[in-house]
Amino acid sequence: MKHQIKLNVNGDDYELFVDPWRTLNEVLREDLNLTGTKLGCAVGDCGACTVLIDGKSVSSCLTLAVAVDGKSITTVEGLAPSGETLHPIQAAFIEKGAIQCGFCTAGMEMSALHLLKKNPSPTELEIREGLSGHLCRCTGYNQIVEAIADASGKLRVDGGEGVKR
Amino acid sequence: MEHFKYVGKSVPRVDANVKVTGEARYTVDIAFPNMLWGKLLRSPLAHARILHIDTSKAEKLPGVKAVITGKDTPFTYGVTHMDQKPLHMNKVRHVGDAIAAVAAVDEETAQEAVELIKVDYEELPAVFHPLDAMLPGAPVIHEGVEGNVAARPSYENGDVEKAFAESDYVFEDTFETPPIAHVCPEPHVCVAKWDHSGKLTFYVSSQMPSLARTHFANFLKMPESRIRVITNYVGGAFGSKTLSRFPIEFASVILSRKTGRPVKFQHTREEEFHYSTLQFRFVITVKTGINKDGIITGRHFKAICECGGYVSHGASITSVAGALQGVLYRYKNYKYDGYAVYTNVPYGGAWRGLGNPPVHFAGEAQLNMIAAEIGVDPLELRLTNATHAGDTSATGALVRSCGLSKCLEKVAEEIGWKEKRTNPRPNHGLGIACGVHFTGIRLPTMPDTDFAEAKIMVNDDGSVNLTTSCVDLGQGSNTVLTQIAAEVLGIDMDRINTIYGDTETCPMEWGTRASRVTAIGGMAVKKASENARDQILRAAGEKLEINPDDLELKDNKVLVKGNPSIHMSISEVARFNRYRENGQAIMATNHWDAPSHGNISSAFSFGAKAIEVEVDPGTGRTKVLRVVVANDLGRAINPAGACGQIEGGVHMGLGMASTEEIMLNEKGGMANNQFLDYRVLTPLDMPPITPILVETNDPVGAFGAKGIGEMALIGTPDAFVSAVHAAAGVWIRKLPVTPEKVLLAMKAKK
Repeated sequence: MKHQIKLNVNGDDYELFVDPWRTLNEVLREDLNLTGTKLGCAVGDCGACTVLIDGKSVSSCLTLAVAVDGKSITTVEGLAPSGETLHPIQAAFIEKGAIQCGFCTAGMEMSALHLLKKNPSPTELEIREGLSGHLCRCTGYNQIVEAIADASGKLRVDGGEGVKR
Repeated sequence: MEHFKYVGKSVPRVDANVKVTGEARYTVDIAFPNMLWGKLLRSPLAHARILHIDTSKAEKLPGVKAVITGKDTPFTYGVTHMDQKPLHMNKVRHVGDAIAAVAAVDEETAQEAVELIKVDYEELPAVFHPLDAMLPGAPVIHEGVEGNVAARPSYENGDVEKAFAESDYVFEDTFETPPIAHVCPEPHVCVAKWDHSGKLTFYVSSQMPSLARTHFANFLKMPESRIRVITNYVGGAFGSKTLSRFPIEFASVILSRKTGRPVKFQHTREEEFHYSTLQFRFVITVKTGINKDGIITGRHFKAICECGGYVSHGASITSVAGALQGVLYRYKNYKYDGYAVYTNVPYGGAWRGLGNPPVHFAGEAQLNMIAAEIGVDPLELRLTNATHAGDTSATGALVRSCGLSKCLEKVAEEIGWKEKRTNPRPNHGLGIACGVHFTGIRLPTMPDTDFAEAKIMVNDDGSVNLTTSCVDLGQGSNTVLTQIAAEVLGIDMDRINTIYGDTETCPMEWGTRASRVTAIGGMAVKKASENARDQILRAAGEKLEINPDDLELKDNKVLVKGNPSIHMSISEVARFNRYRENGQAIMATNHWDAPSHGNISSAFSFGAKAIEVEVDPGTGRTKVLRVVVANDLGRAINPAGACGQIEGGVHMGLGMASTEEIMLNEKGGMANNQFLDYRVLTPLDMPPITPILVETNDPVGAFGAKGIGEMALIGTPDAFVSAVHAAAGVWIRKLPVTPEKVLLAMKAKK
């Protein structure tokens, strides 16, 4: 039997009927067409599906949609402050060459957002620990670590103002 | 050096914005309202005859729309050996071989239906290592291939036996590299969609969409114009999405035709680990003759490549690795014996470096063993024997440009080779290795070509649409190709829209593979751009009544050389040319075939790596402290992008060196098929990497460029094992270098 749930995703309210076995990842990607959140392994090892639930980074592949009824979800589509600006984390990923194929990027950005909210001035090791649930096959991570360090500096200075595209 | 506006600049990726915002759509993101999901029934046995297949229960399951077997897919395929079938009716040759396919309303129903298909097997004896498969009396995997050797590529130049007899020293060592996975973040995935006009649209995460069209036109006997193959953004490929067709591709196409609905297939992560092709297991014996002065007198490689159940790229890879190994040093006597061997493991394919990483590992690790044995500096040993520009290799390859010695000197200087080796710290060690790789590839087993195509269209406002035959897999080719067009046309990069991955709009391609896109794809773009530039200058010359030779393109304008006050915008020229009497579009295409006739490649990239490692003598654990990499890439069109290739190549190379290995259980089934069991290095594992770009301005690549994507990896395991030896005093001849192996070797030594 389907369950009725309410989700706030990136500021928009949705009422959905979902089977109890469906994951948040499936609901975001298939029902809401928010395909920026990827699925890499479906068992919580690779981090590609990371979203924020009430501000905390979570693997959406391991989260049942019915278990987050009434919660606020932030996905990569909700990261940029507007259509014309990028979030400083996004801007830093571009500037530092932290993207190649881009498949792991959304998950990395969401964990970075969680990390920098919790710890605005992380050390390099703390950034690496913050990303330790994420796998990337293209970049070797070092540029991603640099990007997050760079974004942390910018966020401390201007408090998260958008960066013009 | 010439002054360039875009070439040589680390401009940001052209696809960066859509990737950081999640807007970029990959093939996994493709969905249609009435789409069906497909699943394959895969063999649970490694080697068996199929006696009977009963699909009746599966067909009756509510939600199932079609079930197909080998009767519906009467195709044979392969890379060099046509030994594969999409769905097997008579025999399976590895765990996971596909037998049937289901299309159903959702993934769960499709999976449930697959489990209802009943297959009767007669199990056959199986073999899981190439050395066992070559023994007399081993199970025969393909009828008529006794001894299971599918191909015997070889090279010979000079007389190695005579050289060994006359050498001061002769060494012989055997090395082994295990099967390893590509681990594409985006698994292999496709959606087939027929419409009622009989046209097939096929979405596939691929390095070669044109070839998918050629293949399906042949299989289905339909015109290529009725097949549209679309490759969206690709979430990593690393060779696994090249020539091979996959059972899921055939199944989606046939099931979609049968049901009249779009059908999607996507590998699970478990399937992706084992059935998206592997880097082949290699067992390599190297015999080397060397004199006291450090000159290599002769070298003989015997490389046994485990193809698995089907040859796939096995024969070509075994061949290529031998040809390339001959290019690294000035071998006077060189012999290479390759064996491509069937076993009952899941088959391999092209993996970043095309067999070159394993064969280099054996050659370079042994060279370091020899250096330690005869008391010669491994750096000097390499410089003594290194290939130089102008050489023709023992395998017949002309080397037009070569920065090998420079790369070696640069990494040694940067890591402090001489000082650190003079004053070694306890449990610390340095290792060095070098390598060579091709830029594009021409093989006797394939059509004699190494081409790329590009098309330039100038719009009325002076902006440009560039369609290319190369796919951006994440390596950044769209950015580099846009830079090349912008440079030639004098147009801002943001006025160029670079389009790829759609056979309906893009020209034919020969594949985003073999580290060929920047140099060869780039040359097609450069030549098409030059043609368009000449058309613009001719038209402007007519309008301005000035000889086109006196005009140039710069900052989106046509200028008179030496008198920039007289100018026309490119938009004005384009509109003048189109709307005058007998008007013409400004449009140019190019087909560029790299000048590699009679050669394995038109250009060779070289590189060197130096690695510093610390080994914990109590646990055998290794920690990489630093990696320094120098790559001769001809010219860096985008230095930041090139450095990104190096960082990623080293990441994969260190994984190959220290953690990555596909393991099978005693029945040939998957033993490690998730990230917790198959260890890809994490952010906490990665050392600082120092990339050094060495430019040699190759005479045939676009703006002097050569490849980098694969050379970035090659040599990493070789330098790593040598550093472990320097730190712990033990040689590990079988990858990966796990703590257990190091500890056991250290204990055995005591």
